[in-house]
Amino acid sequence: MEEDAPPPRPSLVHLTIRSLVIISLLLSAITQASAQPPDTLANVRTSHRLTYGADEEGGAPYIYIDREPPHGRVGFEVELMDRVAQKLGVRAEFSQALWENLLQVLDRREIDVVVNGYELTERRTRDYLPTRPYYVYQLQLMALPNGPVHSLADLSLPRPGGGQWQVGVLGNSAADNYAQKFDSRLVRVVRFDGATNAMMKVRSGQIDATLQDLPAAQYYIRQPEFSMLSLAGPAEGSGYYVMYVRKGDVALRDALDDALDALTRSGELRAILEKYHIWNDAQLSLGGWSKDKTAPVATSRPMFDLTLLRDFIPTLLASAGVTIGLACASMPLAIIAGLFIAIGRLPESPRVLRWILSTYVEVIRGTPLMLQLFVLFYVLPELGILLSPWAAGILGLAINYSAYEAEIYRAGLQAIPRGQMEAALALGMSRSMALRRVVVPQAARIVIPPVTSDFIALFKDTSVCSVLTLTELTKRYSILSNNVGGVVEFGIATGLLYLLMSLPLTWLSRAMERRLDGVSGPLKGGKR
Amino acid sequence: MIDVSGLVKSHGDHPVLRGVDLTVAQGEATAIIGASGSGKSTLVRCINGLETFDEGKVAVDGLDLCCTLSRRERERTVRAIRLRAGMVFQQYNLFPHRTILENVIEGPVHVLKLGVDEAIERARKLLDRVGLGDRADSRPRELSGGQQQRVAIARALAMKPRVMLFDEPTSALDPRMTLEVVAVIKDLASDGLTMIVVTHEMAFARNVAQTVHVLDEGKIVESGPICEVFENPQSQAARGLLNHVEAA
Repeated sequence: MEEDAPPPRPSLVHLTIRSLVIISLLLSAITQASAQPPDTLANVRTSHRLTYGADEEGGAPYIYIDREPPHGRVGFEVELMDRVAQKLGVRAEFSQALWENLLQVLDRREIDVVVNGYELTERRTRDYLPTRPYYVYQLQLMALPNGPVHSLADLSLPRPGGGQWQVGVLGNSAADNYAQKFDSRLVRVVRFDGATNAMMKVRSGQIDATLQDLPAAQYYIRQPEFSMLSLAGPAEGSGYYVMYVRKGDVALRDALDDALDALTRSGELRAILEKYHIWNDAQLSLGGWSKDKTAPVATSRPMFDLTLLRDFIPTLLASAGVTIGLACASMPLAIIAGLFIAIGRLPESPRVLRWILSTYVEVIRGTPLMLQLFVLFYVLPELGILLSPWAAGILGLAINYSAYEAEIYRAGLQAIPRGQMEAALALGMSRSMALRRVVVPQAARIVIPPVTSDFIALFKDTSVCSVLTLTELTKRYSILSNNVGGVVEFGIATGLLYLLMSLPLTWLSRAMERRLDGVSGPLKGGKR
Repeated sequence: MIDVSGLVKSHGDHPVLRGVDLTVAQGEATAIIGASGSGKSTLVRCINGLETFDEGKVAVDGLDLCCTLSRRERERTVRAIRLRAGMVFQQYNLFPHRTILENVIEGPVHVLKLGVDEAIERARKLLDRVGLGDRADSRPRELSGGQQQRVAIARALAMKPRVMLFDEPTSALDPRMTLEVVAVIKDLASDGLTMIVVTHEMAFARNVAQTVHVLDEGKIVESGPICEVFENPQSQAARGLLNHVEAA
C-alpha cells in the first residue's frame, strides 16, 4: 500500500463511536421530542458558519486529503460546499463522522447538513429533507481485466468454473441496494466498510468484482495501487446525490436549493465536476430539476415499533450466531496458545525462545485488533496468503487474545510457590510433567476469573470482524437501523442479546471456581 | 551410598560451598549441622540436582553427577538420582490441589507407572506408619504443620527411595509438632534407612543421627560420631552451635 493512500474507511474509533451513538441516540430520542427545534438557518447566519458532515476516510474524489503537498482537504464536495456557503454569505466548515452514521449525527444537531454522496432514497426522505441534486451518479463494475467478469451482464450467467460470483459493495450504499437485484443463486454480495477495501479484495483475486459509484471508480482507477483494475462494462443505473437536512429545516433546505440552482445555472458546478474528471452528459439533467421530485413522502412511524422486532428478530439471532461462532472458535485457540507462550516465557526456557515470545506478546498487545485483522485480511493476500473472512476473524481474535491470556497465565504460574515445582522434581518428575500435573492445575484456578472476563470482552470484540465483511451482531444492528429504521428498538434488542451471551459465562466461571476450589471447598471423596 | 567430593558453588561473587567432601555409608543416618548461611541446605540440594554446582562431583548409589556433563546427560543422571533419593522440605510442599492420599500416590502412579490400586495400598500403609491413616481424604490445608510434614515423608517414602534427604524438616514447626516428626524420622533411621538430615537443631541431630558433619562458611570443619562431637567439640563453629543450644 502507498503510504499516502487515503486511509480505508474502518477505523479504531469506529466501534467506540458506534456504541456511543447507540447510547446517545437513546437519550436524544427522549430529550429531542420535547425540545423546541431552533431555526438552523438563522443559527448559520448568526454564527457565519455552515457545518457539513462527511467522511474523509477512503473518500476520494468526494472529500479527501490531497496526495500532493501541502496535503490539504480537497474533493468536489469540499469545493461545492465552499461555493454554497459563499452564496449564503457564510463560511463552510467540515465535520468528520462515519459515513453510515452521518444522518444520526445530523439528528444530534452537531452538523447542519449531510453532504457525502448520499443518494436520494425514499427511505431517507421519510425522515429527512433532501435538497435538489448536485450530481447524477451511476454505478460502475470494477474487475481485473483478465478475470471472468467483463460487465454487469456477466453476473446473470453462471460463473465459469462453478460457485457464485462474489461481488463487493460498500455497505448501505446505492451499489448495495442495486446488488439486491442480483440473482442470489448466482451472486453473493459481500459488504465492505470502505470502498477501497472492496477494491483491494478484487486486486488480490478473492472476489470477482466490485460495484462502485462511478466517481469513486473513476478516481481510484487512476491511482497507482488500483491501476491494474479495469472498468468492466458501461456504467449502469442512476440516481442523485443530494444533501440532507433535518425535517424541520425547510428554510435551510430552500436556501441550499437556491444556492445549488445558482451554481448549476452559472456553470460553476460543472467546472468543479470537470476539475475532478467526473463530469459526464448525464449531469445535464441537473439543470431541469423540479422541486416536487424531492417532495417528502408522507409517512409516519410509531415512536416504538415492536412489529419491527418481530420481523427482524430471526435476522438478529442469525447475526448473534456469527458472534457466538467467532468467539467460541477463537477463545479455545487463544487459551491453548497463551498457555504455551506463558510456559515458553518461564525463566527456565531458552533465552532465544523467551525473547521471541516476549516480542510477540508486546507487538500483539501493543497494536490494535482492528489493525491486526486488517493485516490478515487485506495485506496477507498481497503476499499470496488468502484467508477466508471466517478464518481471518478466528485467527485474528485468537492471536490477539493469546497475548493477553499468556500474560494472565504468566502471572498465575508465578503465583505458584517455587517449592511446588521442586517437590514435583524431587519425586522424579520431568519438568513438563511437573508443569502439567502440579503447577498448571494450581495456576488454572487462579486465572479463571480474569480469563472469563477476557472471554466476555472477546464476545464484544468480535464486532471488529465487520471489517472482514462478516455481519455479526453489531454490524447487523447498524445495517438494520440504517435501512429499516428502529434505532431504539434494535438497539435495545442488540444490547439484550449481548447481555444474554455474557451472563451465562459469568455464571459458568463462578461454578468452575467453586468446583475447582478444592483447597478451601468442601471435602471430596474421590480418589483421583 | 553417597559420595561428595570437592564441591564448590558460588552465587555470583559470593561463595556458598568451598570444597566440601562428604561420605555417607549404606544404612547410616548423617546429620549436617551449621548456622544459617553456612551452606548446608545448598549442599543437600546439590545432591539431588535441585541446585547446580561449579566444581566437584556428587555420586549417589553409583550415579556420578559432575559439572562436565552435557545438559542432556545431567538431566538423565539427576532424574535417576531423584528416583533413589527422596526429599523432604522445610515447607512440606504438599500439593494443595490434591488430597493426602493423592499426594502420596502421585509419584508412584505417574513416575513409577505403578497401578493405581497397588499405589493406594502402598500409600495407605505409609500413612498408617506416619500415624495419618484416617486423614487420607483430607486436603493438605486441613492438616497441622506436623501432620503435613509427616505426609511429605510418606510421599517421599512411597517412591521406595534408597536414601532420604531431609532439608530442615522441623524448622517451621513448633516443639510439639517437632516431636511428632522427629519420632517418625527416628523410626526410619532405626530401620536402617540411609539418610542425611540438615538441621540447626542440635537436639534433633543428636536424636536421629549416628554421624555428624559441622558446616561453617561453605566448608566442613568437623566430622565424627555424634556423641564425640557433642561431648568434645573441636571446632569454633561446633562449640558456637552447642553453646547456643545450652544458652537457650
